[in-house]
Amino acid sequence: MSLRITVNQVELKVDEGQNLLEACLQNGFDIPHLCYHPTVESIGACRLCLVELEQRGRTEITTSCNTRVEEGMRVVTDSPQLRQQRAMNMELLLSRAPGSSRLRALAASLGLEATRFAPIPSDGIPNCILCELCVRVCASLGHNALCAVGRGEKKRVGLPLNQPAESCVGCSSCASVCPTGCIVVKDTAEERAIWGQKFKLLRCAQCGAVLLTEKQRQFALQKGSLKEDDDVLCGNCKQINTVKRFSNVVW
Amino acid sequence: MVRPYRCVGCRTCEVACSFTHAAFGRPGRSRIRIHAAGENKFVQVTCLQCVNAACVAACPVNALVRNKETGAIEVDYRRCVGCALCAQACPFGHMFFDAAVRRPEKCDLCGGNPACAMFCPHGALLWR
Repeated sequence: MSLRITVNQVELKVDEGQNLLEACLQNGFDIPHLCYHPTVESIGACRLCLVELEQRGRTEITTSCNTRVEEGMRVVTDSPQLRQQRAMNMELLLSRAPGSSRLRALAASLGLEATRFAPIPSDGIPNCILCELCVRVCASLGHNALCAVGRGEKKRVGLPLNQPAESCVGCSSCASVCPTGCIVVKDTAEERAIWGQKFKLLRCAQCGAVLLTEKQRQFALQKGSLKEDDDVLCGNCKQINTVKRFSNVVW
Repeated sequence: MVRPYRCVGCRTCEVACSFTHAAFGRPGRSRIRIHAAGENKFVQVTCLQCVNAACVAACPVNALVRNKETGAIEVDYRRCVGCALCAQACPFGHMFFDAAVRRPEKCDLCGGNPACAMFCPHGALLWR
């Protein structure tokens, strides 16, 4: 079922159950955001996706990523007040992650060059803004190898009980979704080091290109997307084998 | 439509594909590939857009979606988290994984007008 909402005085038809940020982005309204990912639940951690929302006669400023669209919503995505609040939140984020180039680029697009606040020393990962996107993505993949540790100002993203998680397969999805790029993955010829663990890397059996970790393959076997007797091959080598097998049919 | 008997292995399709998909003309990053099947025999291979696709079944975050208009299975890069399971799941090797940016790449039929077929000088690739 579709609903009608008004964004910046433009009337839109959106799907029921969608969140407001997704609805705006799909219709070409740009709202800055860092911790939002369409595959996981939104928790409104980065506070950059603020919008002005007029609903049932009241106006409020709220995060759009964890607000569901409702019939007759009136939304403003850009106003002097919103810009001021976003800039303030951005300054606070910058004090946590002064070294992140992606964050600095987004700050520049919001009209900020530097933060007035001193950098916050981190006892966890440097440049982490505690948005927990990695935690949520890891959980959505079924690994649950990451969690938030500690409370209040001591909160950081880390490993459950501070021990290398057995369920981590070294897929490095956490690093690829991290908005500040603060999760370190080090690949050597044989091993991948991530979250204090080392994972054996598997190579293509024919050409030797690095493909995935051994634990990733075991996880895929468990899930049934790979079979035990499947060779570990890269795309190109799989294609060469297919062509060899079927070349007398085609030719 | 693929007609391998017309293919001379000129790899114009690979170049066209890699330019279309922002790989700056590097055939190594093309989503359609020419493989030799013997002396002066070539076969063009690209994604078959399977009905029951292994890549779609393997994706844990439903980032592979079929475009209803073109019939192609496309990667929704906003949803993709880069876990590389799709690339391993494809039995034919048509899903390539770019390890540098941790993203999969596959043929999306260029949104309904494939560049490879458009540029093939010998009619070995046709799009109808």
